[in-house]
Amino acid sequence: MHLPWKHIWLTLAAFALIWLALVAVGAYPPEAFREMIIRSVGKPAAWRETLFQMTPLLATGLAVFVALRAGLFNIGAEGQLMVGSLASVAVALAIPSAFGMILAIVAGIVAGALWALPAGLIKAYRGGHEVISTIMLNSIGMALAGWLLAGPMRNKLQESTTTAAIDEAAYIPHVVDQMPFRMNLSLIIVTLITVGFAYWLKRSVKGYELSLVGKNPIAAKFSGAALKKVTVWSMTASGALAGLGGALMVLGDEHRVYMGFSGGYGFDGLGVAMLAGGSPIAVVPSAFLFAVISQGSDSLAQIQIPKGLNGVLLGLIIIVFAAYRAKKETHHD
Amino acid sequence: MDDGGDVRSLRTESDGVAAHLDGITKVFGKLTALDQVSFTANRGRIQALVGENGAGKTTLMRVLYGALKPEQGAISLHGNEVQLDSAADGISHHIGMVSQHYAIIPELTCLQNLMLGAEPEAWIKQAECISRADELATKMGFSFDWTAKAETLSPSGAQKLEILKLLWRDAEIMILDEPTAMLSPADSDALFGSLRQLADQGAAIIVVTHRLPEVLDYCDHVTVLRGGKLMADKPVSETNAEELAELIIGHGVDAPVLDEFEPGEILLKVASLTVKGERGDEAVQGADLTLRSGEVVGLAGVDGSGQRELFQAILGLLNPVSGSILLCGADAERVSPSKRIEQGLRLIAEDRHAEGVVDDWSLEANASLGLQRLEPLRSGPWIDRKERADFAQQSTDLFAAKHQGIDKPMSSLSGGNQQRFVAARALLLRPKVILAFQPTRGLDIDGAAQVFSQLRKTCRDENAAALVVSFDLDELIEHTDRIVAMSGGRIQSPPPGEEKSRKIIGELMVEAG
Repeated sequence: MHLPWKHIWLTLAAFALIWLALVAVGAYPPEAFREMIIRSVGKPAAWRETLFQMTPLLATGLAVFVALRAGLFNIGAEGQLMVGSLASVAVALAIPSAFGMILAIVAGIVAGALWALPAGLIKAYRGGHEVISTIMLNSIGMALAGWLLAGPMRNKLQESTTTAAIDEAAYIPHVVDQMPFRMNLSLIIVTLITVGFAYWLKRSVKGYELSLVGKNPIAAKFSGAALKKVTVWSMTASGALAGLGGALMVLGDEHRVYMGFSGGYGFDGLGVAMLAGGSPIAVVPSAFLFAVISQGSDSLAQIQIPKGLNGVLLGLIIIVFAAYRAKKETHHD
Repeated sequence: MDDGGDVRSLRTESDGVAAHLDGITKVFGKLTALDQVSFTANRGRIQALVGENGAGKTTLMRVLYGALKPEQGAISLHGNEVQLDSAADGISHHIGMVSQHYAIIPELTCLQNLMLGAEPEAWIKQAECISRADELATKMGFSFDWTAKAETLSPSGAQKLEILKLLWRDAEIMILDEPTAMLSPADSDALFGSLRQLADQGAAIIVVTHRLPEVLDYCDHVTVLRGGKLMADKPVSETNAEELAELIIGHGVDAPVLDEFEPGEILLKVASLTVKGERGDEAVQGADLTLRSGEVVGLAGVDGSGQRELFQAILGLLNPVSGSILLCGADAERVSPSKRIEQGLRLIAEDRHAEGVVDDWSLEANASLGLQRLEPLRSGPWIDRKERADFAQQSTDLFAAKHQGIDKPMSSLSGGNQQRFVAARALLLRPKVILAFQPTRGLDIDGAAQVFSQLRKTCRDENAAALVVSFDLDELIEHTDRIVAMSGGRIQSPPPGEEKSRKIIGELMVEAG
């Protein structure tokens, strides 16, 4: 057996770059690594925060993955998540009960789906590129959120632009609640959806056609797949998943919506999906890795390392994995 | 025309040789594309270069303008022997070519297209350029809005712009590949008028075409290639349509006798079908066609005669402008492609890579491509993986496609084996109407014979019917029950008793009839 030298070099090179990045911001790399690990998965409270972050990352990662599988770039998960969370909080505030919680989840899904639908329609029937339309929908969604949070939905009792907090009756229940560790049902919900989607994609005829459209749209057309329908539906489903992410954040964790609520999770979803490559199940570990690095580098701020470092780390990881896969694909020929 | 012909030939004698190719041989791998071909283009003359697909016309022209280097032979331009190493060399020797698919970029203005790659200076003085462009256009009797986007041009406008591009580059030897393919008859007349004018001004014009009426009506001299060999080189006034058709198609062996059968019910009926092509031209014009169960029908014709659009209309991918399609006895209007597949429509696609397979999917996943909604490959909303694996196995076994396991990607198969696989796939699951576009592409003679014999067997045994497009008339004569010819979007059937007459079908293919 010969050693995969290219991969070894790639890994070493990535480590060297991360090392340099850490040195450049004035950290002592071994200490920084140790801190990151301890503060993301080293103790129960750290786990709690990491898994909180993982929920929306998994939802948006899967959202982007679904669209990508059909050959579409959904850059709009950020806006879809935001709009979903607003719809969800509105319902939960109006109906403060467990039933209200279920409705609020549905509201988040529907709002996210509706926010992606125009991009699907424009792509399918007018040929407008989904990257452009989803970016534009992001801006509209953010402007809408700004207005709602500053006006109609604002909690007048507070200084900041935030909605009122939802009633405890509408919280998503915890499955484990032994502080400092606790975890609610939402991560399990999204994980089950991911597994279900993976099965559907591999085993169902519609899943086959979805992949076919993404792989070779011309062959899909000649094979009787309804290209336009698949485009519209996959974009809509993608938005629905991002909207679900927003709803779960509201109902499980944040219990309110405020300015900047979406926090870049929608854009991180792009990275999560890219890192997962071709496998839907891989979105789960990919989202976990993103959560670890994000949580870990958030904590590094406490030892005077700039928070922006997580972007550098994640970027490097994505590039290295892409290079691995490029190697694999050239081996086929 | 007669008087004109005489005048032309007189002038031809007196004008000089612009380009001369002497004993050109060009080999691609095992294929000899050109075998000792000589060719002369004279100033003041419109020269036709004719032949079937694959006869070597385009290869010869690419040698002339420097894009291909021949293994043997010499090129001389304006009396001097030259060495052409690239198309750029050709341009510097004032050779220009307009290819069949225009190189007009729709997003640029007409002026930008005109100058593209031949801009006068680094800083473009628009007004000066427009005035020179207008000068050229006026000389040809054209008029252009130079600042308008090229996407606004009609096919004939685009063709005119291509000609002006040659003039802008001071081309003196102009090669036009199938220049009338996209044009209406009136526009074609006008085009040849312009070409005549250019010839009168001293240009050497070479028109690559398969349309004999054009050759006879507008050209001075004709060169015929067949299978890479020079068949004839003579003034148009000394030949006629019948002779040219025979030179182009050649004498083939007579059709072998195929197994007898009784044609049954009508499975596909295309009536007065008109379909618009990509460029908005009527690619299929009032076509009629009937397929009965049991029969394999050949659709002869040169590439681009409307076969592609006919297939897409039958598949439900292009909406007809008018006319009707009856599939298995039911009107197919507004029936979705997937419904048509359910009714038994099958396709062996023209472009396997683009239309028929996903290269990095396994053979197993590729086996159900296009058939994914049919039972037993589907069971409820789910894929039946066992059935699909069996089906993939059958698809590789039918024509003994060599493979390393059905879980390996399609790209692990050679081109010929991929073709065996996709051909088998179309025959194995309850076919009723099989559309086959060059089903034997990339196969050797034995492989091709196997595919055709299985195709006939399937049609006879399962009461299906097949329509086979091939650019090789001999193949159709040998393997199909009867042949119809497609030319310029129209389908013509030979008279009864002559269904497989090489001569008559050849004439229909090149519109000599």
